[in-house]
Amino acid sequence: MTPSAGAPPRLDRTMKILRSEEAVSEAVLFAERAVHSCSARCREAVALAACELAENVGKYGVQHADPRAGTISIGVRGDVVRITVTNAVRDPQEARSVMAIVARIASCESVAELYRRRLSELFTNPGAPRAQLGLLRLAFEGGFTLSATYDAPLLQIIAERRCEDD
Amino acid sequence: MKHFTIESLEGHVDQASLELRGSLRTSRAQAEFERHLTQVHEHIVQKKYAAFEVDVRSLSFVNSSAIRLFVNWIALAERARYKLVFQTDRNVTWHRLSFSVLKGLAPSTVEIREESRRGGPAP
Repeated sequence: MTPSAGAPPRLDRTMKILRSEEAVSEAVLFAERAVHSCSARCREAVALAACELAENVGKYGVQHADPRAGTISIGVRGDVVRITVTNAVRDPQEARSVMAIVARIASCESVAELYRRRLSELFTNPGAPRAQLGLLRLAFEGGFTLSATYDAPLLQIIAERRCEDD
Repeated sequence: MKHFTIESLEGHVDQASLELRGSLRTSRAQAEFERHLTQVHEHIVQKKYAAFEVDVRSLSFVNSSAIRLFVNWIALAERARYKLVFQTDRNVTWHRLSFSVLKGLAPSTVEIREESRRGGPAP
């Protein structure tokens, strides 16, 4: 079932992404539960987003006293699902770099072409230190629109998509 | 014949084919999967296979690090001059979208056989 456009707003569900080997799997399970009433295609996309974003928190996030640091929130309003991931970053330059990637994805004419180009770069340069495919996959495979904000030290990435019927 | 299990990922190598089932979500699983793919590549080169089938129809999900492993494998296959034939399921979004892009990296090295687990071969 896809939530109807006239449905009342629902509170986001939030989960702390712990620093453990199970963190990504737990985030995916949390995401699947949060959108259990959405279409299969939407659930698939949300699981992909939770996996990639939770992995990024584990790889690049640092611990911080702010309770929002290292969290994933998911909410469905009408027919739009929104995933928000917040984590603290050590270096502002790292946050700017992520924001630049998000801006490039959000403003590109064809995310498919951007994805193709990135895979092509990795194909010719297998030693590239970072694949930087996660956010691109969210947009390309998941159909998410991405945005990001940075309020030091917290970097927030928001992924939104319409939850269409199968 | 060889079987491996990495967390929720299962692999089954049988002569000139590899079947992958389950999902790959963690960095640890990815590192181990890379090691297995390297062994599979060495097996293909040693046996001098012209083509190697990779059945991913039951591989429901992989993270982006695993996509990169497929990219690297295609690069190795191109250099070693063997063909990778991926059997995919068109009902799985990441199969349908990412494998078409992967084929574009090396069209003469990658072949996609798209099927539907629900309804037979794709039209």
